[in-house]
Amino acid sequence: MGKKRLITGVVATAEAVRLADVDVISSFPIRPYTGIMSELARMIADGELDAEFVHAEGEHAQLSVVYGASAAGARTFTGSSGVGVTYAMEVYSPISGERLPVQMAIADRTLDPPGDFGSEHTDAEVCRDQGWIQGWAATPQEALDLTLLYYRIGEDPRVLLPQYACQDGYFVSHIAGEVDVPDEAQVKEFLPPYKNKHQLNIYEPQIIGAQIEPDMGPPLQYQRALAMRNAKEVIKEAYDDYNRIFGRNYSPFVEEYMTEDADVVIFLQGAHSQTAIDVARRLRNHGEKVGVVRLRTFRPFPTEEVRDALSKFKVIGVVDNSANFGIAGGGGVLLTEARTALYGEGDKVKTVGFVAGLGGEAITRDEFYRMFAKLKDIAKTGKVEQNAYWVPFEL
Amino acid sequence: MLEQIKTIRHAPDEEYYVSGHRTCAGCGPALVYRLVAKAAGPNTIFLGPTGCMYVANTSYGCGPFAVPWLHTQITNAGGVASGVEAAYKAMMRKGKYTGERPHVIVMAGDGGATDIGLQALSGMLYRGHDVLFICYDNESYANTGIQTSPTTPWGAVTTFTPSGPAIPEGKRLWPKDNAQLVAHGHPELKYLATASLAFPLDLMNKVRKGLNAEGPAYLHIQAPCPKGWQFDSDKTIDMAKLAVDTGMFQLYEYENGKYTITYTPRKRKPVEEYIKLQGRFSHLKPEHIEKIQQFVDAKLKAIEVEVTAVSEAAPTD
Repeated sequence: MGKKRLITGVVATAEAVRLADVDVISSFPIRPYTGIMSELARMIADGELDAEFVHAEGEHAQLSVVYGASAAGARTFTGSSGVGVTYAMEVYSPISGERLPVQMAIADRTLDPPGDFGSEHTDAEVCRDQGWIQGWAATPQEALDLTLLYYRIGEDPRVLLPQYACQDGYFVSHIAGEVDVPDEAQVKEFLPPYKNKHQLNIYEPQIIGAQIEPDMGPPLQYQRALAMRNAKEVIKEAYDDYNRIFGRNYSPFVEEYMTEDADVVIFLQGAHSQTAIDVARRLRNHGEKVGVVRLRTFRPFPTEEVRDALSKFKVIGVVDNSANFGIAGGGGVLLTEARTALYGEGDKVKTVGFVAGLGGEAITRDEFYRMFAKLKDIAKTGKVEQNAYWVPFEL
Repeated sequence: MLEQIKTIRHAPDEEYYVSGHRTCAGCGPALVYRLVAKAAGPNTIFLGPTGCMYVANTSYGCGPFAVPWLHTQITNAGGVASGVEAAYKAMMRKGKYTGERPHVIVMAGDGGATDIGLQALSGMLYRGHDVLFICYDNESYANTGIQTSPTTPWGAVTTFTPSGPAIPEGKRLWPKDNAQLVAHGHPELKYLATASLAFPLDLMNKVRKGLNAEGPAYLHIQAPCPKGWQFDSDKTIDMAKLAVDTGMFQLYEYENGKYTITYTPRKRKPVEEYIKLQGRFSHLKPEHIEKIQQFVDAKLKAIEVEVTAVSEAAPTD
């Protein structure tokens, strides 16, 4: 059985990397994810973890190191935040294109300018269509669990895709919570060793990543798209096994809180869901029919599950914790994707966007009260006057 | 340990860079690749950053490598090589791989080694990864249609450095010396050498020394390019020989903090004899050629090759 500890998201992630018996780790410092690497370095120095720890000369190099290591057959781990995430952009598609299931932790952070350290989903969401499995942990416990779940999902032969295991910078990465750290026997039962038949091996020489003609590329991209589709089934299986072995109660794609008989809900992902749930609970105490729907898996985007979850309500407020300048609808990525999922549901489900919590500011209870009030207004009048509001400037 | 090859006749018969590619006739880098693969043998993993030796070699289904080969971006061969080496180190220590430890060789063009890939190369050398990083230097971004790179010589015409009334000499910058650049700032570097296609035995033995070294090694190999330099495709080896005989390219090793000049021409030829055979220099005026001669003289003096350039026509007592 596991051990209960009071630890932050970065330490919880490092514990999961140790439990996954990772072989090669590549690091470069940038706040706030750096704490994961410091903890892993300590584990290696103390003899708790046997892995090669490569001090890469930048994030682009970090991703290059795990690309090579994964192709050679090693289980790999890397991570970053903010502009570090975007600096490595070139290497994300080659990693997923060569079907290398490397894992990258992203403790998210605003992009520059102006060098703000604060949490924001922008950095990780910029990379959303590179062929990586992606989702957000909302607590240190979930950060640990997501790391183990994603190795299992990404390394499955039906998937073979890399994974961004995201956590909100500071809110998850640096605030301690109670974490059940599983023991090694449980992890062994859940996570088989990494085996990829397309490996750099002198006994079975293969050419990996050959240059191809224009007509030969689309079939490979189609295979990557199919792998993303297949991932949904594998994600379900992995969550089932995880819940059984580790005694959790996760829903793989979408989680609902207090949504039975709700008229209006907030839809969002990541740590701010915790505040939203708290506010919804308080409003429920006053007899308000409100709830929260939280997205757990962002890539592959669970279109059907989101549609089924959201089409039950009158008004949905979609909270985007990211800056998307000039986007359709004027909100964020979640707003446009929730609307896509709801396409075909007609006008009976109204959606409105809230861009909130930018720069690492907490989305306060007061702001969530204002968002719920706006949703109730829309439910009453039946009118969406503005597609999206930047909070607190416009609401 | 890979033994030194005594004479060219003792070179292994086996080829690991075989037919099935579509490089240009007379391609210097392809000939270099063949010699490197022959010297390295079957226990080898090649990493191929984007460049001629990626694009022209690995057209789908007909790659010429009889050993494992992995594409890397033009930017990151050093990083990918670091990862492959670290993976084998970890997997062998942890009992996850029980075979022979493979040699890891990067085959980068001059862009992937001296320009956009320099940071990754430096990181790999600094960290001490046991990798042989080879630059096959054809002195331009050739795969994209001959654009200037840091190793393109002064005065050469490329599509980014054309010669015209305002800029008669073409390229106006002196080439970056990557071997010198990496030799002195990386304490973990175990072996460094330059090599030439015109000296195949020396080239293969330097490959083997680089692979035998326990730690990172760097080899800079000049690889003439008929298309980019504009000479007939049957003159590749002659061009490589002339580069060394004129001092435009120097052959040496650097090991344990000491340089060894591995070939000194008995009679150094003037650079003009090399330059006049290449279309990329055809626009140069005598004063331009004189400038290149002075540059080469100064460079050779710096590495203590005290051989005066002597024209073929001049008396040579």
